Amino acid sequence: MGKLVVIDGGLFTTVQDSGRFGFRKYGVPVSGVMDHSSFELANELVGNPKRAPVLEMTLKGGKYRFETDSVVAVTGAQMSLTVNQENAPLNSGIKVKAGDVLEFGYAQKGSRCYLAIRGKWQIKEVMGSYSTYSGGKFGGINGRSLQKGDQISWHDSSSDFKLFEVPIDRVPYYSTKLTVDFVPGPEWSWLSKEAQKKLLNTEFIISSKSNRMGIRLESNSKIGIEKRDMRSSGVIPGIIQLPPNGLPIILMKDGQTVGGYPRIGKVLDNHMDRLAQLPLNGVLRFKKITEYL
Amino acid sequence: MESGSLQLNGISWTVFRMGETTWLLQPNTDKGMLDIIHQTAFLLEESDIQDLRDVIPAYESLTIIFNDSDIDLKKTLSGIDQINTAPKLLPEFHEINVCYELGLDWKEIEINTRLTKEEVILIHSSIEYTIAMMGFLPGFIFLEGLDDRIAVSRKENPRIKIPSGSVGIGGNQTGIYSLESPGGWQIIGRTADSFFDVEKKPPTKLKAGDKIRFNPISKEEFDKMVAKNG
Repeated sequence: MGKLVVIDGGLFTTVQDSGRFGFRKYGVPVSGVMDHSSFELANELVGNPKRAPVLEMTLKGGKYRFETDSVVAVTGAQMSLTVNQENAPLNSGIKVKAGDVLEFGYAQKGSRCYLAIRGKWQIKEVMGSYSTYSGGKFGGINGRSLQKGDQISWHDSSSDFKLFEVPIDRVPYYSTKLTVDFVPGPEWSWLSKEAQKKLLNTEFIISSKSNRMGIRLESNSKIGIEKRDMRSSGVIPGIIQLPPNGLPIILMKDGQTVGGYPRIGKVLDNHMDRLAQLPLNGVLRFKKITEYL
Repeated sequence: MESGSLQLNGISWTVFRMGETTWLLQPNTDKGMLDIIHQTAFLLEESDIQDLRDVIPAYESLTIIFNDSDIDLKKTLSGIDQINTAPKLLPEFHEINVCYELGLDWKEIEINTRLTKEEVILIHSSIEYTIAMMGFLPGFIFLEGLDDRIAVSRKENPRIKIPSGSVGIGGNQTGIYSLESPGGWQIIGRTADSFFDVEKKPPTKLKAGDKIRFNPISKEEFDKMVAKNG
């Protein structure tokens, strides 16, 4: 049995997988990894099924001691990574030995990195998923982010795994500026022509209040919307909500299941991974497209 | 289809594509809309539709989510149109014991409604409510049927923490916070019953469409129930 002990859980590190499906009618968010492609890549590098659970680390990764020889890989945000204080590569399989300490620094590019460990993790599934939903205090390790002393153990399949690294052209470059494509949502027409134009011409800043529930945007120019009665209705990750304060919120993986703010658009699924990696104070612009590709 | 309309469960619906895998459906009727939405949500789930991931009933809409993006919605839903042979949703009745003594906002409610606490309790506990929907958070229960006389606007400053089991009023709606969570509703009482348990399948015994009545209990009875529930 493989095992690691958390020495320092970093800023916000949680167990995540591809998400929790079929429970939205009870108000349960989908959860799961914010950056799906980095998640699948991490699992690929250790030879796990591509939807096996991983650790998602936000902005600062923390420190972990391995109690057994293990195969690991780190993908996603560029965080400095060391094994026993010696630099270790990102986007590559790594063999660590019993007693080794894996330490992450701050994210230099991007926001979230993913640690995969070869083997079947011994964590209880909740409603069919390993994902942590910290708002509801369930999933992952005790429904919360990792803390000092937490342990994760796994059944290792085989130790003679042949390491490989990701070809450089598959390693994403994370910029601090991003344009995301969206398709107009059900309440898009509630925006005046002028407000629609303003939305497309504004450079928004990623607010520090952003989290796994939603990316909150800031700007000096507010997007005004006519106040109309709206009863709560279904929402999904990627939906761009416009609250009365005129500052859009893009719902992310821990986002609520229903909402009462106008849904002015929906960010394309294949732009969500990049969006999840946009750092605090990063710059975001919207580009309108007419239909889902 | 991007948007348009379709027939489902014997009714015409306006359809809006809200995502790669997601469609928003709104019934083209004003009459008994909530019941139509609940019946149709149930029908869809019972119909064994391939790749159907989630159905979210809400007050005036139904959101359906598939596993894949290459769904032909009209074709996928075309067979589900026989109201007479279809399974029917059978609403259940639940009585929920509420200790109104544990309300947190009585002063604000009395000022806003110009009614006494006793009058508000009497009105609130005399109505049979319908579960309109669950969400925004796990196990949050929105109830339809609040008496206009006891409608109270949401708090100016939402609370960071509302205890689990809190019963609240937000505008012309009432509902239950099954789990501890932040929220802006005026809290008028608390139930010792638990409506959301991640260990259970399904996690709640309640469902959209069910009927609920509140039964006022004393603080002593509440404490006993808490002790009993462990």
